[in-house]
Amino acid sequence: MDKKIRVTDIGRCDEQLARLLPNELMSLPYPYSQPDKEPPVKTLSEEQLRTYETSLDGVSAIGLTQPKSKHEEEAFIKSFLEGLKKLLSKENNWTFLQPLLLSLEYCAKCQTCSESCPVFVSSGRQEIYRPIFRSEVLRKIVAKYLKKEGRLFAKFTGSDIELNWKAIARLAELAYRCSLCRRCAQTCPIGIDNALLSREIRKLFSQEMGIAPKELHEKGTVQHLAIGSSTGITPKALNNLIRFMEDEIEEKTGKKISIPVDKEGADILLLHNAGEFMSWPENAEAFAIIFDAAGINWTLSSELVGYDAVNYGVWYDDVQFARIVVRHAQIAKQLKVKKISVGECGHAHKAMGVIADRILIGELNIPRESALPLLEDIVCNEKIRLDPQRNNFPVTLHDPCNMVRLMGIVEPQRRILRKICPRFKEMEPHGVNNYCCGGGSGFAIVQSMNFPEWRASVAGRMKLKQVLDVFQNNINPETKKYVCAPCSNCKGQMRDLFSYYNVWENCGILYGGLVELIVNAMTDLKEPFISWEWH
Amino acid sequence: MGNISILQIITYVSYAFIIGIYAWRTYKYARMPVHLRWELHPIPSEKGHTYGGSYYEEEEWWTKPQYRSPLQNTIFMVKDYLYFMQYYQQNKRYWFVLYPFHLGFYLIFISHVLFFLGGLALLLGLPISSASSNLIALSLYYLTLITSVGGCVLGSLGCIGLLIKRAVDKDLRSYSAPVSYFNHLFFLLVFLSGLYSWYFFDPTFAAFREFWKDLVSISPSNVDTATALHIILFSLFLIYMPFTRAMHYIAKYFTFFSVRWDDTASLAGSAIEKKLQKSFGQTVSWSAPHIQRGKKWSDIVSEVQHPKQKA
Repeated sequence: MDKKIRVTDIGRCDEQLARLLPNELMSLPYPYSQPDKEPPVKTLSEEQLRTYETSLDGVSAIGLTQPKSKHEEEAFIKSFLEGLKKLLSKENNWTFLQPLLLSLEYCAKCQTCSESCPVFVSSGRQEIYRPIFRSEVLRKIVAKYLKKEGRLFAKFTGSDIELNWKAIARLAELAYRCSLCRRCAQTCPIGIDNALLSREIRKLFSQEMGIAPKELHEKGTVQHLAIGSSTGITPKALNNLIRFMEDEIEEKTGKKISIPVDKEGADILLLHNAGEFMSWPENAEAFAIIFDAAGINWTLSSELVGYDAVNYGVWYDDVQFARIVVRHAQIAKQLKVKKISVGECGHAHKAMGVIADRILIGELNIPRESALPLLEDIVCNEKIRLDPQRNNFPVTLHDPCNMVRLMGIVEPQRRILRKICPRFKEMEPHGVNNYCCGGGSGFAIVQSMNFPEWRASVAGRMKLKQVLDVFQNNINPETKKYVCAPCSNCKGQMRDLFSYYNVWENCGILYGGLVELIVNAMTDLKEPFISWEWH
Repeated sequence: MGNISILQIITYVSYAFIIGIYAWRTYKYARMPVHLRWELHPIPSEKGHTYGGSYYEEEEWWTKPQYRSPLQNTIFMVKDYLYFMQYYQQNKRYWFVLYPFHLGFYLIFISHVLFFLGGLALLLGLPISSASSNLIALSLYYLTLITSVGGCVLGSLGCIGLLIKRAVDKDLRSYSAPVSYFNHLFFLLVFLSGLYSWYFFDPTFAAFREFWKDLVSISPSNVDTATALHIILFSLFLIYMPFTRAMHYIAKYFTFFSVRWDDTASLAGSAIEKKLQKSFGQTVSWSAPHIQRGKKWSDIVSEVQHPKQKA
């Protein structure tokens, strides 16, 4: 039933468009090869179903509430169409107008992209998740409602779509079923970018209608700009966390390291995803240990915004994006650092390195780079003493999409792993052809209702399959294995994904960053840095 | 003015129309505001293109001479235009019908250039025939024959193949509007009308070449009914093309060179910076509460409240 859904059904009011059934999802390798081991996606309560819009697939990422009146419905539709017009204007959307129009106008609908999408394939090929499904909804709305001749030839051109509250609300949700990994765009022979269209839809909803998942907007970029970090860490809390990390470094390694903060004139302003301070302090500690051992002149910032590298604007809002990168650059300028270096955070890499390139002009054009080439230099040119045998356990590498396909940083992390991990093995596919962890584009932080279950069972399914496949020869839980994920959001997704399927208990697979492996191999450490504890 | 003159006028108008519309659209795309970077790897011009690497793999990349080979991008694109390399690699079944269809158009385009040259040669007093001892005339004769007939045959096969593929493949069918089928049928009719007039009325294309001579010299012309029908259909095809997605072969230049492969970093004082300054000055009218509508983009971005005091 679900697979016969057509694009024009988006406004259908009779029933939920797709139902996710465990036995229809893509099968997983051992020990999850039996469909009865698949936890069902949590069904929402009657109250939630009555209150929130969930008729796309029974899941809610945004938490849109049902309209209370006809007037509210009409205002919603009007606002959407106003936003759509702005999205297609150079005054309001100079930032992406050309790529948007190219992808909107010239898709050949050849379906070459479909099989490249991990969400579509993992879901058992649910039609609504097909990469061009949501793009087609947008195309049909533009063709019928914004073009003069649209209604006249609607049937002939296939633009016979009915625009109602339901259609728009489902489109908003559907924009949050694409993790913006851009595998589909990489596959398209014409260069059409369905992921870009997903982001443009998100942008329309955010910039015109004020609609976005609260974890991205209110608790995300707004909180980031207002109190300093989307995690809620204030500068005072940061100071406490830094003291805690210094103590923990001493406790674990015996090294007394003073983590530099607000050091004017340092060579490097290191930007961490503040999630590291909260959830994985060992990552920020490892950076401090390596930089200290290698004699790097670096600093953290305790200025508002300056201690959190994240920029959720990358995923849904150009204005919020620009506000954050401008603030980051201003802080670097005040500190008079030579460059900004981004730690293990994929989307911050893309934000600072690539997209900000055409925002930070003039005096704000501070040199910015990934920390990975510097780490490669330290490790591969033996600026610290390392013993690979200390990492003598199976290791694989998860490539954050933002670093590889979207930025072209592929080899530095591999050269490091080949040097320090004798049992390093690639998962397939990898590098620029990698699969998203399932937490991309903000998915990893969205906690709305049953969205986390959807994220684990559908969005992260392909990654879980890859991880299980690569470790299949050592899948018993007694052999401890390590998935190196040099990205905070990817780690957040791995944590939830592995917990959802009890991967640590069933298979002995742990996830962690790259710098932890480097420190674990340092010869002057008495005890291993990696503690092999699930947290 | 008789029927023949109308045929000539239709031909002039259709060519002028398609060239004009395509030129205008290309200009429109080329003049669009410079957008934020949104590249995708691998990029053929990059040193690490074999595995998808970029200059960001180098420490302090801005201090090092950047290896760039823009020619690699062009070579990739030419290969893709010539034999649809990406389709062949990613979607082979589709390639088997898509490629003949497009090759048919390529050959027809070349044949029309050859007809133009043939008409010019006739005007200059160089007869074009298989019996000619002149190498240019002989080449024009056979090349025109091969490209015209080959183009119509391949185009017809491609149209039929795509019609079947769209009708049989449920994934393609559910995303195909009536206009897609109409297009394939219409294009098929154009190709078949060309084959019909060639096979039954003008096997050496002598009459059609005369028509082109008269087009070039703007003189009255006369062709048989079947050829006239083909000329009308082909002219309608040229006028119709801009209303289809067919411009994707030009759009593709922009999707690759201006978006997917554009990883050029902005440098201080560069032309890009000047263009960006202009965009930053645009007045924004987005309505969401966090955006102060009516202000300049640069003001909206910089006016966010940043508390001075640390919490």
